[in-house]
Amino acid sequence: MIRATILDYGAGNLHSLSKALATPDVTVRIETDPLAAIETDVLILPGVGAFTGAISRLDPSRDAMRRALNEGLPCLGICLGMQLLFDSSDEGPGTGLGFFAGRVDRLCAALVPHMGWNTLHEATDPLLPSGALETAYYAHSFVCRPTDSAVVTAWTTVGQDRFPAIVRRRNTVGVQFHPEKSSAPGVRFIRAFLASVSELRVGQ
Amino acid sequence: MTLSRRVIVCLDVANDQVVKGVQFKGLRSIGDPAAMAVGYEQAGADEVVLLDITASAEARSTRWEMVHWTAEQLFIPLTFGGGVRSVGDVNRALRAGADKVAINSAAVARPGVISEAVTWFGSQCIVASIDAKRDGGARSGWRVIVHGGRTETSLDAVAWAAECVDRGAGEILLTSIDCDGGRTGYDLDLTRAVAAAVTVPVVASGGAGTVDHICAVLTEGGADAALVAGVLHDGIVSIESIKSAMAERGLPVRRERFWPASAVGVA
Repeated sequence: MIRATILDYGAGNLHSLSKALATPDVTVRIETDPLAAIETDVLILPGVGAFTGAISRLDPSRDAMRRALNEGLPCLGICLGMQLLFDSSDEGPGTGLGFFAGRVDRLCAALVPHMGWNTLHEATDPLLPSGALETAYYAHSFVCRPTDSAVVTAWTTVGQDRFPAIVRRRNTVGVQFHPEKSSAPGVRFIRAFLASVSELRVGQ
Repeated sequence: MTLSRRVIVCLDVANDQVVKGVQFKGLRSIGDPAAMAVGYEQAGADEVVLLDITASAEARSTRWEMVHWTAEQLFIPLTFGGGVRSVGDVNRALRAGADKVAINSAAVARPGVISEAVTWFGSQCIVASIDAKRDGGARSGWRVIVHGGRTETSLDAVAWAAECVDRGAGEILLTSIDCDGGRTGYDLDLTRAVAAAVTVPVVASGGAGTVDHICAVLTEGGADAALVAGVLHDGIVSIESIKSAMAERGLPVRRERFWPASAVGVA
């Protein structure tokens, strides 16, 4: 049995995400205390709220969480949750987790927010075999700019702005889109992530 | 590398049932919100809007349970609108499971409610819902109407849309009161005027009768997305027939092989 913990920063919808994570092999817990949240098999940083509000919740336990991730705690960061894994954001003040080097800045496009279904390209992430998730749902105004583009395992483009759809370092994966809102292919993506984590545990 | 143009299904809800009726008269129940929303997801809808038109405040007490029940089963974005009065209501809708919340009359009464909701929850989940009516006396030619199309305001519809965006709204849901329910096409001039005045996506609403109407508002009208309701519920058009027509006209559409979420074991 795998324990998946969703960190709740206090803003927004966690129902679809809980439901997408829940399988007979996974117990899902929603946790508001970041220190308690890292006592888990897989940490989920959800994609609702604003950078400063979320990071201020994380602040007292930032070092502990970063240490846990560096020590290999599997983590899926969704939208804002992905952005929290970077150093800082133009959306507002606050220090990110810095698990990925780079900043978060405003999307450069004619229509912002980027709201709707967009395709992934140059996808190399192991969770995307045979293009299982071709089109995903996005709802965001800010995007991650990693210092090292080698962490990017899929890209998305709006107008002229090409930005990471997926970043990965070891078992920590950040996705700019909302897999829990990307219909059946998105749910399959989440299940594939959980399956990869559970294989890891078997391998230990 | 393409952002799809969206087909959004609107479910008008009264007393927790999806209802149908022309301009809010003669309402008839046509189904359960969650079941219909999931059915449309499986048919390929890009998003669902639940618009609560329940008349009395007491009868609205169960609506968060309805949102919760629907959100739990739906794996595409869900917008809730109807009677959202305050930041507290926005919070309740989001906690119940909505991804976006539409604010209409309450924003006209007190525009600050949009700015406050954006500060708390972010632009991407705050939708400014605007009902507009043709009016030669308004500067742009359209006036904002509130309370389900019953009350005129002093606001110009295009200027009001721009103000909502200045206050941080991440999307405009624009309904033509003149065209709503008529099935003779969207108000293309209104949609074009608002789309030209704002830098966020505009969802056009009111008037869909054929797939051609939907394609027209997405091309000539400049809308990013089309809201479709009665004509879909009556089976005159389908999500697939809309998307086929859009694709034929060169509009980018999302056309996965529409595997239902149940196929991947979601209870």
